[in-house]
Amino acid sequence: MTKRITVFIIGVFAFGPVYWLLVTALTPTAEVFTFPPRLWPKTVTLEHFANLADNPALLRYLTNSVIVASLTALLTVLISSYTAYSFSKFRYRGRKSLMYLILASQMFPQALLLITLYLVFSAFGMLNSYLALILSFTTFTLPLCVWMLKGFFDTIPDELLEAAKVDGAGQGSIIHRILLPVSLPGLVATGLFAFIRGWNDFIFALTLAGPDKQTLPPGLVNTYLGEFQAAWPDLMAASLVVSLPVVIGFVILQRYLVAGLVSGAVKG
Amino acid sequence: MKQGRSLSNGTFGFLLTLPAVVLFGAIVLYPLIGSLTTSVFEQSLVAPGRAFVGLENFRHVLAYDFWPVLQNTLVFTGAGTLAPFVIGFALALALNSKMKGRAILRGAFLFPWVIPGVVVSFAWLWIFNANYGLLNGILVRLGLIDAPVSWLGEPGTAMMAIVVAKTWASFPWIMVMLLAGLQTVPEVLHEAAAIDGAGTVRRFWHVTLPHLRGIIGVVVLLELIWNFQHFDTIYVLTGGGPAGATTTFAVAVYETAFKGFDLGQAGALGALWMLLLSVLVVVYVKVAER
Repeated sequence: MTKRITVFIIGVFAFGPVYWLLVTALTPTAEVFTFPPRLWPKTVTLEHFANLADNPALLRYLTNSVIVASLTALLTVLISSYTAYSFSKFRYRGRKSLMYLILASQMFPQALLLITLYLVFSAFGMLNSYLALILSFTTFTLPLCVWMLKGFFDTIPDELLEAAKVDGAGQGSIIHRILLPVSLPGLVATGLFAFIRGWNDFIFALTLAGPDKQTLPPGLVNTYLGEFQAAWPDLMAASLVVSLPVVIGFVILQRYLVAGLVSGAVKG
Repeated sequence: MKQGRSLSNGTFGFLLTLPAVVLFGAIVLYPLIGSLTTSVFEQSLVAPGRAFVGLENFRHVLAYDFWPVLQNTLVFTGAGTLAPFVIGFALALALNSKMKGRAILRGAFLFPWVIPGVVVSFAWLWIFNANYGLLNGILVRLGLIDAPVSWLGEPGTAMMAIVVAKTWASFPWIMVMLLAGLQTVPEVLHEAAAIDGAGTVRRFWHVTLPHLRGIIGVVVLLELIWNFQHFDTIYVLTGGGPAGATTTFAVAVYETAFKGFDLGQAGALGALWMLLLSVLVVVYVKVAER
């Protein structure tokens, strides 16, 4: 009984705000701006979602988010897979130090890295470019991907790779013909995690890109939290839209979730 | 057979890491060192050139910004770790039983954690809204307050409001980690303790807790590290205000560099921040190595 009460109380805290987001996004503007607010709307409308589709700036942010998060995920998985293979299947001096340096770097403050990243991108004329965003996102996706992929590669038996070696396969074909195909689910899961992290980034895109290259999170802040009165129902509708890909991603990733959390962020 | 022994062509192994190592050096290590170096220069974000000033920037930030910012950061980190830990642990214990639909519940509870940080801020910005907010609406209806309160606009309540929002976003992760840990506690231990006459509370203290020590350590350390450098929720909810009441290190360094253009002082504040943070990170890596 106490368990059910605990779940109920925490459930109210967890899902109350979600409910309120949804209700506000579906309530006509005139009804939203009343006090005290109505807990359920008298009439339901989709006008706020239609407003989003009519806003060309939002569509641009959406396109930017898709492009930047996808390319970040691709680039990071590509580069990390070789490193993760090395960490998983080879033994050499400095390996552990390198592994833990990369792990620890997830904890370097982003605001601090940003100062020099900004100066460097500015010096190379790269501010406000997709490349600047992708490279800056890689600062947090690279450690995540290296550690997660190492976790996946650790589960692949050495014997499988040994057998290929005996059959005369070179290192290149061991990696590309055996290791990577066998690990495909792991690569996809890792890529999806990287995509989500890139999709959710706020501080780098806020600072390194202007309105035409910005992604959704800073784009929404600049659109709705400006000097003028925020259009709350539109913002709540936009919040649901920007959350949707991430929620779908996590439904797909359910199976890998705990493994991802533990091996990606915590241990190998 | 021990994994990884038989393929030990070390040089080739190291070469495989080169693309990542080069990239890592360019976008993580160089920027980190570069930013820390600005702490001993007088340097602007928008004008070229810089002049060496020794420890002048440190003297300045220690005389002004550092202490209030440290206090705000510690309050946010402490409360923002403790509250989600208690809620996450309680939920993990509750869900660690053969309850109907547990898997679905566990998945649903993750929602606040998976959505983008700015969405968390938008939702709570709206709930805490002074004029039309849900919280004021409920409290006024219940007669607990006479007039709407500007939760994010008052120095006395702004930090706690931020902690509530951050708690909402963090407790699901803690729940998942602790639930995974709880499922590794052998049932026989509980049964044996029960036979010896131990009640629920004593079994929790003497069987469950000792078994979870490792995972609790990791979860708490990571939460402390993440909160110590958290930016998104605070910046969107208050921007560090009102009157600096919620300015943590992340916000202070960001504002000093990108609003005040003063890279020297941002670097000095950042170096002190990094120093405190590295204590936590070293402890974490030691724990992770085990």
